[in-house]
Amino acid sequence: MNELDKIPVRQEISVAQGSVKRSNPLANVFDELVRFCQSRSMFMLHYCTGCGAIELPPAMTSRFDMERLGIQPMVTPRQADILLITGYVSVKTLKRIILTYEQMPAPKYVIGICSCTVNGGMYWQSYATAKVLKEYLPVDIYIAGCMPRPEAVISGLRDLMGDIKSGSASNWKRYFQNYDHYLGNQQKLFDEDWQTPTDIIAEAEHYGLITDQTLGEHTALLQKHQQPLEALEFSLGEKREKIRGENQ
Amino acid sequence: MSKELNLWLDDLLKDIKIIQFKRKNSRRVRIDIAPEALPALLELLQGRASYVHLSAISCVDWIEENEFELVYHVWSYETNSLVSAHTRISREPGVYLSVYDLYTPAAFFERDIHEMFGVYFEGSPDMEKFILTEWNGPPPMRKDFDSEAFVNQTFNWEEYHPQWLKDIEAEGGGITTRPEDVR
Ligand code: SF4
Repeated sequence: MNELDKIPVRQEISVAQGSVKRSNPLANVFDELVRFCQSRSMFMLHYCTGCGAIELPPAMTSRFDMERLGIQPMVTPRQADILLITGYVSVKTLKRIILTYEQMPAPKYVIGICSCTVNGGMYWQSYATAKVLKEYLPVDIYIAGCMPRPEAVISGLRDLMGDIKSGSASNWKRYFQNYDHYLGNQQKLFDEDWQTPTDIIAEAEHYGLITDQTLGEHTALLQKHQQPLEALEFSLGEKREKIRGENQ
Repeated sequence: MSKELNLWLDDLLKDIKIIQFKRKNSRRVRIDIAPEALPALLELLQGRASYVHLSAISCVDWIEENEFELVYHVWSYETNSLVSAHTRISREPGVYLSVYDLYTPAAFFERDIHEMFGVYFEGSPDMEKFILTEWNGPPPMRKDFDSEAFVNQTFNWEEYHPQWLKDIEAEGGGITTRPEDVR
């Protein structure tokens, strides 16, 4: 029975690696095991932004069958590991992507599918699309192509699996470590009073990932424009009636 | 039956002096009309000729002529044909009448045109922002809005030939077919 006591019940490996003192000799073995399991059970958020999403149904269903690799679609960000950004990202969509990304629990991974997420793709001239996705979010893997075939999608996902298994897929930490930089780019695009409901700084503290890049001039703006949450006003068609009345 | 109706309609429309009438095929008619007369024409088509479906209003910016062209597409389920009524309004000040009282869906199209081209429709129920709720610049579909300059000023670009690609190329890999080779 003595050996059983040695087996750690709670592991903090995947999150605060390094900041917790590791006294257990089995910890590294456990790390590897956990990482293996993580890489084999990835839940992918169903949030499709652009035309590249059309390659996902074939990749998911019987012909190419991602599920044999343990990758499954998931409907809520709270339960997802991977955020797939499948194509061009308009400025409006980017806001929703950031809100979604921040709601996902760490460790989380972002995959940018399609050329549009790399450099704007064929929408490079468009006033409405954001160009370089990795300025706003840390991207783990880009799968280029217009649009990439399911084979390419699966090979990209396999690369990500390899990275997770070896422990090198830690880009999500960068969002906490360099929050000021990412927030600055977001503010440049959305105006300086841009707010998200998720408290990233508190989360960074929780994960032990605060660095001197986490806070800065942009997060100061965030606090300056912060407003207390209020209940939404409820009205039914009043505005419309009013405008109609004015016109008559 | 619908063929006969079409022939009658053609005869009637050809009789109206102030419009230019052109039948393109059995299902499409083009009418060019002065802006003052367009609401009357639509009223006639809707009330007397069963053109009850406004499928779209489109807008073209003719910047050299300093005009906006508005095209009203109305469809009839009786004659199975589409009438496109073209009219041109001056670009300055770019104000026109709403046809919301004839066709309620017009509110939707007019709001969209207002947002994209800045044409103001008097009498339309809602001229507020619609799709571009987060856009503060000029109406982006106008020809005098330079999208490319705006993009270059607002966004950064990914490096086209980054160091890691050079490293791969040094080992003999990289892009096998360059754009120059294809052109
Ligand atoms: S890269 Fe091509 S397929 Fe992908 S979102 Fe852009 S235009 Fe669509």
